[in-house]
Amino acid sequence: MLTEQEARSIIERIVKLARADETEVSISAETVSHLRFARNTPSTSGQSADIVISVRSTFGTRSGTARVNQTDDPSLRSVVERSEELARLAPEDPEFMPALGPQEYSAPDAWVEETARAGTAGLAPAAEVCIRDAAERGLVAAGFLRIDANANAIGNSAGLFGYHRSTTASISETVRTQEGGGSGWVSRAANDIRQLNFRELSATAIEKALRSIRPRTLEPGRYPTILEPSCVADMVRSLLFSMDARSADEGRSYFAKKNGGTKIGEKLFSDSIHISSDPLDTSVPGFPWGSEGLPQRRVEWITGGTVKNLHASRFWARKQGIFPLPFPSNILFRGGKGTLEDLIASTERAVLVTSLWYIRSVNPQTLLLTGLTRDGVFWVENGTISHPVMNFRWNESPAAILQQVEAMTESVRVPPRESRNATMSIPALRVSGFTFSSISEAV
Amino acid sequence: MKRRDFLKTTAASTPLLFLPHVPGFPLRRQETDRSLLAETALNTAEGLKASYADIRIGLYRTQSLSTREQRVTGISDSESSGFGVRVMVNGTWGFAASNILTVDEVRRITREAVAVARANSRLQKEPVRLAPVKTILATWQTPHEKDPFAVPLKEKTQFLLDLNARALAVQGVTFCSSFMAFVRENKLFASSDGSVIEQTLYRCYPTFTVTSVDRTRGSFQSRNAYSEPQGMGYEYVEEYPWDDDIRQAAQDVLEKHAAKSVEPGKSDLVLHPSNLWLTIHESVGHPTELDRALGMEANYAGTSFLTPDKLGTFRFGSPLVNFVADKTQPGGLATCGYDDDGVPTREWYLVKEGIFVDYQTTRDQAHWIGRKESYGCSYAQSWADVPFQRMPNVSLSPGPKPLSLTQLISDTEDGILIKGRGSYSIDHQRYNFQFGGQTFYEIRNGRITGMLKDVAYQARTPDFWNSCDAICSREEYALGGSFNDGKGEPGQSNAVSHGCPPARFRNINILNTGKQS
Repeated sequence: MLTEQEARSIIERIVKLARADETEVSISAETVSHLRFARNTPSTSGQSADIVISVRSTFGTRSGTARVNQTDDPSLRSVVERSEELARLAPEDPEFMPALGPQEYSAPDAWVEETARAGTAGLAPAAEVCIRDAAERGLVAAGFLRIDANANAIGNSAGLFGYHRSTTASISETVRTQEGGGSGWVSRAANDIRQLNFRELSATAIEKALRSIRPRTLEPGRYPTILEPSCVADMVRSLLFSMDARSADEGRSYFAKKNGGTKIGEKLFSDSIHISSDPLDTSVPGFPWGSEGLPQRRVEWITGGTVKNLHASRFWARKQGIFPLPFPSNILFRGGKGTLEDLIASTERAVLVTSLWYIRSVNPQTLLLTGLTRDGVFWVENGTISHPVMNFRWNESPAAILQQVEAMTESVRVPPRESRNATMSIPALRVSGFTFSSISEAV
Repeated sequence: MKRRDFLKTTAASTPLLFLPHVPGFPLRRQETDRSLLAETALNTAEGLKASYADIRIGLYRTQSLSTREQRVTGISDSESSGFGVRVMVNGTWGFAASNILTVDEVRRITREAVAVARANSRLQKEPVRLAPVKTILATWQTPHEKDPFAVPLKEKTQFLLDLNARALAVQGVTFCSSFMAFVRENKLFASSDGSVIEQTLYRCYPTFTVTSVDRTRGSFQSRNAYSEPQGMGYEYVEEYPWDDDIRQAAQDVLEKHAAKSVEPGKSDLVLHPSNLWLTIHESVGHPTELDRALGMEANYAGTSFLTPDKLGTFRFGSPLVNFVADKTQPGGLATCGYDDDGVPTREWYLVKEGIFVDYQTTRDQAHWIGRKESYGCSYAQSWADVPFQRMPNVSLSPGPKPLSLTQLISDTEDGILIKGRGSYSIDHQRYNFQFGGQTFYEIRNGRITGMLKDVAYQARTPDFWNSCDAICSREEYALGGSFNDGKGEPGQSNAVSHGCPPARFRNINILNTGKQS
């Protein structure tokens, strides 16, 4: 894995080769080990290593970017020449911002040597557990195990330098019944592979598969609904993406006021909604920097239901007189107390949804999304799971959901199914209404 | 096994050096001749008792330019080179890849791939079987007139800025952004079956988005270009009718503000090819993937309602409906000479006269449905990724009788005409889908009477295709496509086209997306 010293050396070599007024370099080195299984047997598996060196050159306010994945001198010389050629040919940029000088970056603790060393060989025992436990119950397992070891560096001709490395181990598994009438899913991620209890996780998928057999039809409509953390993670991530200051100022966002300005300071959501980000969070470590090399810091996005901040580029922040904020590297949704089982126990009647699938924007004005439920939908009555129900297509807005929160669990680190981002801490929510618009017969 | 047996054909005894040098391939200091790298991988795999091995040595170049209003927001040019080795040991796949193009690294990576296969073979319950393939020694490249990477950058940026200026000259248009991306994918494939194939694939994707913000209404409306990504060179950018499209887009966004919000309920639909291609992609292309049908994608992309027991008997659509798969169609994003298993590409029916008749297959899948050969659908997005089954071009055949779009609209009493790619979503077995569009037009008594907004259509796949009662003829046929179709774990992107003429569908469920929030 690329060390800090090697990263610094590459950046220094590039800056030395450069003839541009400013040269910015970012490096991303990764080693990926993966093992995929389906039909209770391995399908594809492998390891790959790569490095991407991105060079942005600027003459005056003209900029261009070139990338290469080789580190020898001729390759670095060539990427600098290509980048400078692009910059010379680019038009003047009226929104040009000079390169950032040295920054103080936080140092999230996200590297675990045992994870980095595990490799594909370290994934085989986990696959064996998942496959055997499913097969012993006459079920069919399909899943994906992955280890990422990453090193990232940033630097420029103005003296900026940053280095960060991280490991992530992740599992997602779908267990289905032989005849295809039941299906359950689970997913988790951690920086330390030893924190993933593959047997326990697999047991969750198995239990959901067995519980979801012979689903009953529930008429489409608006129902009180318990959204498991993965569902909430997908919805909240979509909401955060739309919290862009420029789009709001330009009038093309949910966060735009009708006659100009943004909705910062407006109370749009339930009192219990607190969403922040913090690269130094110990349970879900983030990244030291964001876009444009801006340092990631602790930021309150929504506090007590009120919008506190929108992310903003350096140019837009300067224009509007606000603080520049990159899109966060982790999302921390402050949870309540108790587990999912506690939340179910306190629920009179609701639909319980395991995960959401194929989520797409339908109306950016209202943030309306559409998608499907998948791998475990149940009817909860008088504090217990009563029976499985068929999957639904839904049309719902994350903004509307966060206005109707009745109760929530403690937060857990769960990857959203759709975006598979591994740095979110999210509770399960019970909302007073969720719009299921039609039935899907998919299992 | 002797090396001569392992490398079954002339390639074993003929040095691979006959291959032409590809201009632009980075023969930098650490890169040894590619034929030597290929031989090293195959010999190393043979020595480690792999029953099959292949290596792909690739150089991928991408260029993208993005603008908004009169500003260039990004210009980037990327090169990625490296190799991936795939081996089979004890009926189990193993794969490893590296960006370091040296003989020593190829040897190390091949050993790693063998170790991966051997470790996983302990868990293997269904040993992999490969359909036979002929030995191929060939080169192939996407037919194109103008290499997009040879077109001066200044010409491209000015083209985009001029496009934006034309939209912004229309009063009421607030923003316009535009974008171009180009891909050149060069790969050398060598396998232990003796095949050596070099291919260079080109793709391009130009587009724009026009937006109008109406502060008094508190509304914003956008319209994307009707241009489509193509497996072509820069000639597509030069030939596309940009003037007409940008002028119409500017009018469309202004008209959308005041357009009538659609009445939800049942309606007949006339779908333009710019909209219908994506519906074909999701509801026909994906469910006819054999790996999905057999559960290989159960954890991510999903399975399929088209299970093998339905082959040859299931009525997928009305008798008018024929779907042809191919990797040979001119301009198709999935078009190539050979797939990443080294299988020659071809065309075949997936749905014939409404009946589901076949799947998309690779060498390791064909035997699952009793086929003796692969249809050539193996693809990896880069040298660093494992090849697996990816979608070929899947297209709706034109209707047999002369029928123009104008005649089809005239023949439709009440309905909605939809153009352009909008929101899209479908369930994991490909039954329940919901699609939007870019523009929607009300049809009353055979005439377009005005624009609608807030429209989405939702249906169940076989019901939808069985409701198809008219398909326009060949002169209305057009090719749409996706530059980035996701599938697999780790996730991979595939580019794929879908051709179709306009078609009509009866009594489809319409949602109002403005009220449903």
